[in-house]
Amino acid sequence: MTLRPASVAELASVITDAAAARRGLRLIARGTWLDGGAPVSADAEPLYLDAFDGIIEYEPGDLTITVGAAMSVAELDAATAQHGQWCPLAPWGGDDGSVGATIATATAGPLAHALGLPRDLVLGVECVDGTGKTLRPGGKVVKNVAGFDLVRLMTGSWGSLAAITRVSLRLRARPAVDETWLVVTDAAADLCQRLRRSVTPPIACEVVTRGTLGANSPDGLLVRLAGNAAYVAAARDAVHGAGDAQRADASAWTPVRTAARPQATRAMLDPAVRALNDGVKHAFDPSGILNPGIMG
Amino acid sequence: MSAVTPLEHARAGLDSCVHCGFCLQACPTYLALEDENDSPRGRLVLMRAVLDGRVAIDDADVATHLSRCLGCRGCESACPSGVPYGHLLEAAREQLAAVRPLPLVARVILWVFARKPVLRVALWFGRMARDTGIAAELARLPGALGFPFAMLASTAREPARPWTPRAAPTRATVATLDGCVMEGLFTDVNRATERVLAENGYALCAAPGQQCCGALHVHAGDAASARTLARANIAAFEASGAEFVASNSAGCGAMMKEYGQLLADEPQWRDRARAFSAKVRDASELLAAAGPRAGATVPRRITYDAPCHLEHAQKAGGPALQVLAAIPGLEHTVLDDRDQCCGSAGIFNLIEPNVSELVLSAKMRCIAATQAPMVATGNPGCLMQIGAGLVRDGRGAVARHPIELLDESYARQER
Amino acid sequence: MTLAASLRAIVGDTHVLERAAELLVYESDGLPGYHRTPSLAVFPANADEALAVVRTLASAGVPYVPRGAGTGLSGGALADGAVLLGLHRLKKIIAIDPERRVARVEPGVVNVSLTKAATKFGLHYAPDPSSQTACTLGGNLAENAGGPHCLKYGVTLNHVVAAKVALPDGTVVELNADDSGYDLLGAFVGSEGCFGTALELTVKLTPNPERVVTLLADFTSIDDAAQTVSAIIAAGILPAALEMMDRATVGAVEASIYAAGYPTDAAAVLLVEVDGAAAGLDEDVQGVDRICRAHGARDVRIATEPAARAKLWQGRKKAFGAMGRLAPHLVVQDAVVPRTKLPSLLAQISAIGAANGVQVCNVFHAGDGNLHPNIPYNANDRDEADRVHHAMVAIMQACIDAGGTITGEHGVGLDKLRYMDALFTADTLDGMCRLRDVFDPDRRANPGKVVPIRYCRERRPNTQMAEGGRRMADATGGQL
Repeated sequence: MTLRPASVAELASVITDAAAARRGLRLIARGTWLDGGAPVSADAEPLYLDAFDGIIEYEPGDLTITVGAAMSVAELDAATAQHGQWCPLAPWGGDDGSVGATIATATAGPLAHALGLPRDLVLGVECVDGTGKTLRPGGKVVKNVAGFDLVRLMTGSWGSLAAITRVSLRLRARPAVDETWLVVTDAAADLCQRLRRSVTPPIACEVVTRGTLGANSPDGLLVRLAGNAAYVAAARDAVHGAGDAQRADASAWTPVRTAARPQATRAMLDPAVRALNDGVKHAFDPSGILNPGIMG
Repeated sequence: MSAVTPLEHARAGLDSCVHCGFCLQACPTYLALEDENDSPRGRLVLMRAVLDGRVAIDDADVATHLSRCLGCRGCESACPSGVPYGHLLEAAREQLAAVRPLPLVARVILWVFARKPVLRVALWFGRMARDTGIAAELARLPGALGFPFAMLASTAREPARPWTPRAAPTRATVATLDGCVMEGLFTDVNRATERVLAENGYALCAAPGQQCCGALHVHAGDAASARTLARANIAAFEASGAEFVASNSAGCGAMMKEYGQLLADEPQWRDRARAFSAKVRDASELLAAAGPRAGATVPRRITYDAPCHLEHAQKAGGPALQVLAAIPGLEHTVLDDRDQCCGSAGIFNLIEPNVSELVLSAKMRCIAATQAPMVATGNPGCLMQIGAGLVRDGRGAVARHPIELLDESYARQER
Repeated sequence: MTLAASLRAIVGDTHVLERAAELLVYESDGLPGYHRTPSLAVFPANADEALAVVRTLASAGVPYVPRGAGTGLSGGALADGAVLLGLHRLKKIIAIDPERRVARVEPGVVNVSLTKAATKFGLHYAPDPSSQTACTLGGNLAENAGGPHCLKYGVTLNHVVAAKVALPDGTVVELNADDSGYDLLGAFVGSEGCFGTALELTVKLTPNPERVVTLLADFTSIDDAAQTVSAIIAAGILPAALEMMDRATVGAVEASIYAAGYPTDAAAVLLVEVDGAAAGLDEDVQGVDRICRAHGARDVRIATEPAARAKLWQGRKKAFGAMGRLAPHLVVQDAVVPRTKLPSLLAQISAIGAANGVQVCNVFHAGDGNLHPNIPYNANDRDEADRVHHAMVAIMQACIDAGGTITGEHGVGLDKLRYMDALFTADTLDGMCRLRDVFDPDRRANPGKVVPIRYCRERRPNTQMAEGGRRMADATGGQL
C-alpha cells in the first residue's frame, strides 16, 4: 500500500507506526531532487507528501504567504506574481521542485547573495518529527524570536528530522524594472566580485561558460539588475562600462539554475560539532527512520 | 538627622531611572573598574536600597561605591530619562557624611578651602614649592606620592606677554569669580581672562568679599559649608552690580549655576540664589556670545578635552570650541572620548588615587594618540590632572586653558 | 574550597561579588520590575577565564546565567539563586577584515563600538537595537536582537557567520553558518543563553550606504499613519527603517533632553529612512513623500544632512528612556502582528488602555509590524499595577489572535513565559526543550527561561544550586 497521508494527523500516525517498527521512510513531495543527498537506505519506504499542497494563507498586504510544502516553486511564483510580489527563492535545480524541499535542503540560488538564503526567507513551518509529534515553530510574521529556533533547525535538515507539511515565507514586492544582461568576458569571476561591491550591485550574477546559454553562447557573466528605473539605469551603465554587454532574456537563468543540484554532506565536521549533530538527530528522530542516511 | 533625609528629599529623581543602562558606557569608573556598582545605574540602585531600608547607609559597600564616583555627570548627558544624577549623588554623600566621616585628607582640604586666610597661606606654600623647582623634583616620587607634586609642577608657566585691551566697553558688565585654585596657582590665567573679556567689549567690575564657590564641599557631602559659602558669594556679587558673573573654572561655574537648588529650602535666600544663578556664565559663553574677536595667528597644534562640569553639568560644551575655532592658525586634532572625565573630579584624585589613575590613563592614551603637544581644557582640576599626567609621561606636552590661547592670539597682534 | 574561592582563583578577588549590597544592581536587567538575586556574580576578563569559569561551574553542577550589559527587556539575564556570569569585560575587537567584510569580536563588545571601529573602512554593523550605545554583541546574539534598520538589513541572525561557543558542560564548539550538517548556528542565535555562551563571534559588516535620507511625516490620525506603513511597503519601496511614534511617546521625547522637534500635537509620526545607491534614491524619497501625503500626512520633513538626520533619530532611539519621565515605572512590551493588522491592533490597544485606565505609549518598528506598547505607571500603586498587568495580557492576546507573535526582538526571557502556551502547542514546546537538551542536557544554563518549566521539567534552581554546591564541596573536601 502506498503511503500517501491526506492530513497532518494521518502523516503523524504513519510516522508513529514506522518509528515503532523502525521502518525507514523516504520523503517525497515532487520527487525532483531525490538524487541530492547521500543515498537513502534502499529499504526505506516512499512516503508521499503531495497532499500538502496549495496556498493556505496569503494576505498580499502583509508580504507573507503560507503554503503547503508540496507546492512547487513555480506555482508559488505564479501565485505571488498576480499581486506584484515574489519570494526570491529561485533555487538551484529549477522551479519544479517543491517549496518544502527547497526549505528542507536549504537550497539557495543565484539570488541568495543579494536577497537572502532560504534560512533568511522562511518564517515558520509545520512539520511532523520522527517521533510522530507535530511541531509548529515560528509563525507568519516577519520578525519573531519566540522560543528556540526549530525553524532554522528544520531548514537544511534534509528531511532527516521531520517531514515539513507547511511553510510560511517572507515576500517582496517585485522590482519595477528587472532585466538580464550577458557581459562577454573571460574575467567573469573578477567582474562578478566587482559588481557585487559596486554602489549599484545586481541582484544576481553568475559566471557562464561557452555553450551554457545555447549553442555558441560565449563565456561571460550573466547579470540581473533590478530596482526602480533610475537605479537600474545607473546599474546598467556600470555593466556596460565593464565589457561587451548583450541584453538577455529572463529565461537565460533557467539553464544556469538547472545545471546545479543541491547536495547534502556532513563531511569535515569537527568531532564536537558532529556530536551535536548526532544529538539533534537523536532528539527528533530517535528511531532513525526519516530519510535514513541522507546526510552521510 | 532631620525627619526627611536628603535622599528622601530627592526620591522623585531616583524614580525617574528606568534601569536602561544607557549610562554605563558614559561612566569612566564603570569602564575602568568593570563592575556596575561603580556605574550610575549601580549607584542609583544602592541609593534606592538605602532609601528603602534594604541596606544601611553605613554599609561598607555603599560607602565604597558612592565614594568612587567622580561626579563628572557624564551619565546625565547619556540619560534619556533625565535622572538628576549629580544632585542624587550629593544627597547620598550628604547622608553618608553624617554617619561616616570623610577621609582625613579630604577633611583637611575642605577645612582649608572654607577659610580664605588659611587657603592663601597654603597656596603660597604651593607656589613656593612650584617656583623653586621642588615640586618638579618630588613629582618623580612613585605613584600617588608624587602625583600631587606633578599637579603643582604642571601649573608653572612662562609669564604671559603683556598687552592692553583697547576695545570700548560696549557689552554687559561682568564680575569674575577669582576661584581658589585659579587665583592661587593660575594667577596669569585669571588676568588673561579679564583681558580677553575686556577686549571683547565687556566692562569688568570688582566683587570684593567673594569666597570659595563651595563645589568641593557639596561633592564631598558637606552641604552645610557649601551653603555658607554660597550666601557670602551671592551677597558679594550682588554688591558688585554686575549683570553677569563669569568663571573660567568649569567646576566653580557649575556650582554657582546651581546655587538656586542649593538654597532652595532657605526662604530668605531662595529667590536671591535663583537670580544669582541665572547671571552665572562660563567665561567661554560670554566670549562666544561676542564672537570672539579674532586675533593674530597662533601656530600651534592642540587637542581639546571637555571639562565634565562644562559639558555635562552646565551643558555648555559648545562655546569653548567656538573660542578655539576663532583663533587663527590653531590646528585642532579631535580627542577621542573628549567628553569623558579625566579622573580629576575636584579632590577625587587625592582621595581615590587608584581609581583616578585608571581613569587618567585611559585619557592619556587618547591624548597620546593625537600627538598634540598641547591639551586645552577650561577647568583647574582638569588642567592639573592632565597636566600631571603630561609631566609624568615625559613627552613634553602641556595643558593650557583655552583662554590662554586666545590671550596669546591677542598678545601676538599687539607686538 | 568554596565555589567563590575557586572562581576567585580564576578571575581575581575583585571580580567575584558575593555580598548582598553588591549584588543588588545585578538583580535586574533593562526591564525594571523584576528582581532575582544571584548567589554570586563572576566577571571573567577574557575567553580563557570565561571558559575556566564555565568548566568550574560544570564540575560543580551549578546553574548559571550569562549576562552582557544587562540592557535586555525580557528579564532574560536574571539569575534566581544561580551564578551570574557577566561577560562585559570581554570587550576586545579581535580583528576587522575589510576585504571579507567581517569582524571577529569578543561577546562583551558594545554594539556601537564595532560600528565606530569599522567606520574607517566605510563599513558598519547593521543590526541597531535602540540600546546600541550600551548593549553587547554577545547579548544581541543571545536574543537575536533587531532594531529599526532590520527592516531592510535583517536581524542579528542574518549577520552572524560564526560563533565559538562554550557549551554548559565546558566543551568548546565552533559553529559556522556554512557548516554542513544541521544549522546549529541558526539554532544557537536567539537561544537566550540556554544553549551555552559565545566566547567569540564573527559578524558581517555592511558597507555604508552612498546616500541616506530621513523623512518625518506627521499625521492627525493614528489610523492614517498605520495605513501609510502598509502602503509604502506594498509600493515596493523597502525603506532602511520605518518607525512610528504616537502622541504620548512624542510628548515624552519632546520633554526630554533628546527633543527632536517632533510635532507634539500630531496623533502619530512616522520616521522613514531610505538609503542605498544615490541612483534611484530620489525616486524612493518622492514615493514615500507622495504616499504619506496621499494618506493624510499634514507635513513631511526631509532631512539629508547627517546632523539633521541624527536629531530626528535621537528622539526615536531614546524614546524608551524618555518615558521614564512620565511615571516611576515602565512596562516595555514587544509583539509582532501582520502589517495589515496594524490599524486594527492600534485601535484595540487604545481601547484596552482606556478600559483599564492606563496610558499606552506606542513606539515601534512599524515596517515590520513590530509593536512596542509601553505603559508608564507607579508600581507602588497596587491597583494601578494590576490594571497595567491586565492591559498587557489583553494586548498580547490581541496580538496572538491577529496571527502575530509575543516577541519580535526582545526575547522570551522571564517576562513572556506566560504567553508561550497561547502561542505554541505543547508538542512544539516539547520539541524546543528537546533541542535545548542537545546543548545543555543538565539544563543548567539560564534555567527557567524561554520555555515554561513544566515542558522542560526543570528542577528548581535553588535546589540545584545547593546540590551543586554540595557536590563541589565533596569534590574538594572543603565546605561551601
